Amino acid sequence: MTTTTVMPPADTVDSAKASASGRVSRGSKHPVLLHVALLAGLILMVGPFVWMIISSFKTTGELRQLPPTFIPEEPTLTNYRDLFDRLDFPRYFFNSTVVALCVTAGNLLFCSMVGYALAKLEFAGKRVLLVLVLATLMVPGTVTFMPQFVLISNMGLANTHAALILPTVVGALGVFLMRQFISGIPDELLDAARIDGAGEYRIFFKIILPLCGAPLATLAILTFLGSWNAFLWPLVVASTEDMYTLPVALSLFAIGQQETNVALQMAGAVVVVLPVVVLFLAMQRYVIQGIATTGIK
Amino acid sequence: MTAAVTAENLSESIKEEVEAPPRRSRPTRKQNLVGWSFALPFVGLFVVFMAGPILVSLITSFTDLRSTDIRSPFGVNFVGFDNYGDVFSDPKFRKAAVNTAIFVFVGVPLTMSLGLLAAVGLNQGIVKFRSVFRLGFYLPAITSIVAIAVVWRLLLGADTGLINGLLDVVGIDGPGWLNDTQFALPSLIVMAAWKNLGFSMIVFLAGLQSIPVDLYEAAAVDGAKRWQPFRYITLPLLRPTILFVAVITSIGYLQFFEEPFVMTQGGPLDSTLSVSYHAYNQFSFGNYGYTAAVSYVLFVAIAVFTFIQFRLLRPKT
Amino acid sequence: MAPAKCSFVTTHRSAPKRSLRVFAVGVSLALVVAACGRDDEEGADDAPGASADTSDDGAADTSGDDTSAGAAEGSIDVWAMGTEGEKLGVLADGFMAEFPDIKVNVTAVPWDAAHDRIVNSIAGGEVPDVSMIGTTWMGEFATLGGLEPTPEGIDSSQFFEGSWETTEVGGVSYGVPWYVETRLIYYRTDLAEQGGFNQAPANWDEFTQLVQAQVDAGAEFGVSLQPGGVGAWQTFMPFFWQAGGEMLDESGAFTLDSEACVEALTFYDSFFEEGLTPPAVSDVPVEGSFTNGDVGSFISGPWMIGVVTDAGADPATWTVAHQPTEEAGTSFIGGSNLAVFEQADNKAAGWAFIEYLSRPEVQVEWYETVSDLPAVRSAWDDPALADDALLAAFGEQLEDAKSAPAIPTWEEIAAVIDDQIEGVTVGNTTPEDGCTTMQQEAESIGTGL
Repeated sequence: MTTTTVMPPADTVDSAKASASGRVSRGSKHPVLLHVALLAGLILMVGPFVWMIISSFKTTGELRQLPPTFIPEEPTLTNYRDLFDRLDFPRYFFNSTVVALCVTAGNLLFCSMVGYALAKLEFAGKRVLLVLVLATLMVPGTVTFMPQFVLISNMGLANTHAALILPTVVGALGVFLMRQFISGIPDELLDAARIDGAGEYRIFFKIILPLCGAPLATLAILTFLGSWNAFLWPLVVASTEDMYTLPVALSLFAIGQQETNVALQMAGAVVVVLPVVVLFLAMQRYVIQGIATTGIK
Repeated sequence: MTAAVTAENLSESIKEEVEAPPRRSRPTRKQNLVGWSFALPFVGLFVVFMAGPILVSLITSFTDLRSTDIRSPFGVNFVGFDNYGDVFSDPKFRKAAVNTAIFVFVGVPLTMSLGLLAAVGLNQGIVKFRSVFRLGFYLPAITSIVAIAVVWRLLLGADTGLINGLLDVVGIDGPGWLNDTQFALPSLIVMAAWKNLGFSMIVFLAGLQSIPVDLYEAAAVDGAKRWQPFRYITLPLLRPTILFVAVITSIGYLQFFEEPFVMTQGGPLDSTLSVSYHAYNQFSFGNYGYTAAVSYVLFVAIAVFTFIQFRLLRPKT
Repeated sequence: MAPAKCSFVTTHRSAPKRSLRVFAVGVSLALVVAACGRDDEEGADDAPGASADTSDDGAADTSGDDTSAGAAEGSIDVWAMGTEGEKLGVLADGFMAEFPDIKVNVTAVPWDAAHDRIVNSIAGGEVPDVSMIGTTWMGEFATLGGLEPTPEGIDSSQFFEGSWETTEVGGVSYGVPWYVETRLIYYRTDLAEQGGFNQAPANWDEFTQLVQAQVDAGAEFGVSLQPGGVGAWQTFMPFFWQAGGEMLDESGAFTLDSEACVEALTFYDSFFEEGLTPPAVSDVPVEGSFTNGDVGSFISGPWMIGVVTDAGADPATWTVAHQPTEEAGTSFIGGSNLAVFEQADNKAAGWAFIEYLSRPEVQVEWYETVSDLPAVRSAWDDPALADDALLAAFGEQLEDAKSAPAIPTWEEIAAVIDDQIEGVTVGNTTPEDGCTTMQQEAESIGTGL
């Protein structure tokens, strides 16, 4: 499962635009009740994360105590030390980062190129291409991972970063996003440039891309998150520890021999989750700004 | 980019492309070259790593390929629909299919309702700290399912988990959750809803935003009571958004794999075995032909289910 | 799942010149179908027997040269799992000191990933030179054509018979046993004493009495048996063998559906029926429950000696016992083997390393490093092992221990057995139905040979 798609929340709720856009405001009869309910919901949603972080500073023995303790009785950094010394988490972190960055870069470039072509250029087979690409969005990972694996192995790339990157370096979602957005760019802009003698590549890099800040930012976050959190493919294709990504490492240490060291698992989970949260917090603002400056298309 | 716009845009753009009247002039040679030069890197990678494997998988599903044949993959026999026959007569597959169906039919509405509830709650004009709430509700959706599964497995521990610990404090003897055939799958469903409601919420928020306030004001003037505006204005106008969320969530849920893999290994007694997990197990036994067949059955199920949702929830114009 | 999958699809397809494309695709498919198909020749090439006879020069050369250091040089990649992976460097250093021309690179692979890793590496051609291989995986890897047959120069009688059998697939040996383990009953002597039955159980009835005594003395559960799930067969099969059961007969057909199976499964289930064992695996590890007296006994391997001691159990309060004897007193033998890969770059050096690891003194050194029991019989004469009462018990049990047949489909068969065990202990399946289903499913999966 895992719907790794993530829609940007950025533009939607912005108090500056409150009354102008169609935001509903009603039910202001029970503000206290509403806030209490929302707060309860928030606690339920964020609770497990708080538990995860607190637990990562406990020892496994303490985690097994009943009744459960909140603040660690003897806070310890052993788990984190273990992750970084005994286990090879810096390496896994590196792998996850490299792969996610490359996949994101690839998607940004190639999907915007083909998105431009599909939105603004005419060429034979255009329709077929779009339909086929979008159709693959429904294909489950289990269909492709086995042939992809055989292919990667026969290319001699098994257990390399390339193996982790290549199958997802382009994706249908990127095509759709970029095509949608670029369709909205007025043709007149492009025609004017063509009249001035600019070639399509110049138009693409000098006119189109700069205007695409918002969808590119969106696509960047979605792709990075998806790649960082990906599980099945890295599980199948990485055969030695030095090629594991963070989720794979975490799962293998959580359900294998080390199953009994639950505090260590919590620390591992923190390491997997934290960078994504930080990135998202940072990028969230960027996406809001992006939308604000370019206007809603 | 609001969700309502996205959902409509997507179906419209596809329809445009596909049902457009034939163009009056064929693209010129130069136009083809330029167009394809932009498209080529994408298409090349796409064909090799996506389209190709999809096709190969289909072909493999008609053979008896096993992992022992991997060094001579062309030396296998075609067995027609035997693999598919095996799949449907396999009690494990049937169990997995039932589990997956339950997961989807219970999980998707649950996730969407919670998301809608949260969106409606957050959409109230008087909410303070809206962005904090929004971020908090959304947080689980962006985190790795593996990390979530590890944390929840600890929380649901039969003897020492936090949930049973808290229940114990109020005197309730919590069940074995993941060890109990009755509670294992429901636990996974609740966990999935918890994780994914944020996505629904965000999309619904966008949809709610785009409904003009005057509609509600008019309804209030006409004397509409409590839930009537919601039923008669909000919901119908949210149809495209509901369709979008339903399709995305269903496709994800139909493929659920990481939850049972990390938390229960399909047990107890296969009560949390999903179709994807069953396919993965067969892959690790080396039954590649069978794996391909199961995967294709799942693919067809996804396609059919999506199609049905489109039909049922299609925005009425 | 691949990242960023969003979706919509329409059911329309409108492609110009569609019929031409369909025709082209159809023709290519037809050609592919015509070209495919198993040949008998290819099948013969893949059979283990054939590869032993027509094996490439590597095998022929090493049987003569494998003991001379001069022939082996270069570097080798060695994979090992779990603790062995973490600690193998110690032995590798000793080897490299003696054979300065050979460099050994050890990679640790976690157990869960190991099976798939090795399969994938054979498939992809990216194999190490030497790997530790779980005994139950030998059949599969050998039939894949991934392993090199053992050179003639290595003497099989130096190893325990049960462990040597785990290296044989279809009559040919691939690799050597490295270390072994077997399963004994760990029980609390103090609780047993209190409950009125403090002795090693000689048969099944006495085993039940021992377990009951633990409960009578206050343990919540008299024994901790695995109710199902991965590996439950290792706890169950000894009872099957003790009742006289055999997994395969001489012709290689499955004989799971026997009186012995029903008896064993009924006996195993009796502990669940009577509430003498926990109905599900607890999140508290067994050494913890054993030490604090919640669980009176369990069945496991030699590694638990250290684990239980580390958990703080007083050595005077517990011991190990030989498996109960009905028609036989058989236990499960496990452990790992070492093998050289058929596609390896440096087989000569690989076999040299394996021979080094099989020397009795190195086996003892390995025992002292990670507590793995030697597969080499003469290593047991060393005081480090002979003088330890608990270990001596394991040594004795090793003389009567069996393992799973080394067939390629074993993992799948094991899963079937695990499922049926779970069905009987946790679900509503009767032992008779459980055994029948095991047999039926095993037959439909086949041995793969």
